[in-house]
Amino acid sequence: MSPELEKCPRSLLVCEKSNFMNEKSRHDIHVSKHSFNYKISVLIPECAVLPANISGVISNFSPYYLVRDLPVYELLQDKSHETVVQKGTVYAVSYNTKIDEDNSIALLPSGQLVLSLNKDAYEQLGLEGRPSLYNHRKAMRYVVTLNLRDKTLAPGTKRYQRVLSGLKDRLPLRYDFLFTEHNTDEDKTLYKLLSQYKPVEHKAVLSHHTLKNLPCPTLYPSDLQGTTLSCDPHSFLEWLGAVNLDISCENAADSFLSTYICPEPKSSVSQALLCTITGFISPEDVYLLLQELRKYFDEPKFTQWLSLTVHGFMDSPVSWGATEHGFLKGGENFYNLVCFKNQDYWLHMATGAHDGCPP
Amino acid sequence: MSVFLDLNIISSHDKNKLRSIIETAAHLGYSTVAINYVVEPQKKKSEIPKPQSVSDIFEKFPVVQGKSTPIKVLNRLTIVASDASHFRPTNEYKLFDLVAVYPKTEKLFHAACMTFDVDIICIAVAEKQPFHFKRAPVNGAIDRGVFFDISYTAAIRDSSMRRYTIANATCLMEVCKGKNIIISSGAEKSLEMRGPYDIANLGLVFGLSEGDAKAAVSTNCRSVLMHGETRATASGVVYTMKKPHTLEEQIEDKPASKKAKTETA
Repeated sequence: MSPELEKCPRSLLVCEKSNFMNEKSRHDIHVSKHSFNYKISVLIPECAVLPANISGVISNFSPYYLVRDLPVYELLQDKSHETVVQKGTVYAVSYNTKIDEDNSIALLPSGQLVLSLNKDAYEQLGLEGRPSLYNHRKAMRYVVTLNLRDKTLAPGTKRYQRVLSGLKDRLPLRYDFLFTEHNTDEDKTLYKLLSQYKPVEHKAVLSHHTLKNLPCPTLYPSDLQGTTLSCDPHSFLEWLGAVNLDISCENAADSFLSTYICPEPKSSVSQALLCTITGFISPEDVYLLLQELRKYFDEPKFTQWLSLTVHGFMDSPVSWGATEHGFLKGGENFYNLVCFKNQDYWLHMATGAHDGCPP
Repeated sequence: MSVFLDLNIISSHDKNKLRSIIETAAHLGYSTVAINYVVEPQKKKSEIPKPQSVSDIFEKFPVVQGKSTPIKVLNRLTIVASDASHFRPTNEYKLFDLVAVYPKTEKLFHAACMTFDVDIICIAVAEKQPFHFKRAPVNGAIDRGVFFDISYTAAIRDSSMRRYTIANATCLMEVCKGKNIIISSGAEKSLEMRGPYDIANLGLVFGLSEGDAKAAVSTNCRSVLMHGETRATASGVVYTMKKPHTLEEQIEDKPASKKAKTETA
């Protein structure tokens, strides 16, 4: 067999450790930059019941809206321009579009509208863009980034007219969109804006169950790389994935051989809580959840650590900030925070093949 | 990358079977499929079949999984040629969106690569390749924009055919270096279809690189479709469309039919 077959598509893992109390800690920046999150999973060893403060925060997550068949130029119209661009809190991503097959559109709160278009759409639209970083022999995908806050794109300018006419006449794109906005004030500006398109409101879905007799790795905050005391990050993340998917890590000699094992050093915990939240979750909500999870250690607990994993959309055009995201065999872009008793944390950021390096 | 296409679904007279195959294809994520009418001129009593209208199969096409657009269905003709006289581009060929040839001898393979007006050249998968691939015709085909098709259901059906498929495919890869390859199913039943990412992985077994394997199911298939469309045009720039005649015009036209034939629009 050729040696090519032994190679897998490359994946990147960036690991960082610091302390939440450290003023130079960049955990808040990393969380806020990862705009499009669809799933959060929390694993708390030695815990049977979801603490009330955490379930309270989760139930207060902002709702997200699904709008069917929205023309893209509506995101630029004068009415939306004020709300969307000036306020700077709206996240939008196209739904039911595959990043490696069709056109995919995302709106970041910084006012950037990212259009990831295939060749035909790009040539028809006629806006300036650059070829995707993940093209193979021929350029089949192009990325057009419009900074809606730029003075040259203010409503009334020539460039604005050109963009608007392109999206209205030359290539009328219509897609289903997911919108979310983190607003602490009660006025539902986003809902009012979308009301003419009949948005359907959804809330993030929470599901949790308690795992019994789970072998858990023992982690020491000082040893991130897993050289002396803990296990290395790859084995830890692999074990965490297995736990999330309910794959047994016993490595028993059953008829079906699963070679996933819990990395050494390990200890068996009698119970662990695994809770999963799915929906279009804004980074601000993730940050609030993180604050509550940090408070978990205010009272003495058996466990030394708990973990929070946030998964990004597989089909979003961007991963962290405006870094382009692609899909080769998998479009994973997630980050995992391990919070320790002493407010130390480990941050693992992972991406797949067609993705830029996480910050 | 472009959408995923499967350009080889063997046609059958049983509409239900065809429906179930197309539904499976939509479920697996293929955005476009092509129904393949295989013709063997060597056998007696084989004429080019007329492709059944696509709207006959479904009133409403199934939606592709994960998207909101319905699946597209096209028609393809494959001529199994063991003699040069078997391939004669007639008007009947124009009814099909794609034309493919399956050359059985080395001379025909060379002719197909260099001169025949086809979009796809099929590679033997169910038997040992009777001739070796030479670089000259293969490069000639690549320059002309003709693609080589490897079908994978033979590999699913039988283990000895699996060996032939992989052997023939790896021979071809050595010569063409992974360019201009498409991998298609050749499915007669819906269970014989596999998902596009699985087929991209199968491409790795054939010797393609990661990007080439994924392109073999997406970008290259799209190029084949473009090639098929331009076959009916003049250099890919000008094309003609028949203007529908009303009944009165037809009666008037009869005496003058010697002067003007079809109108171009």
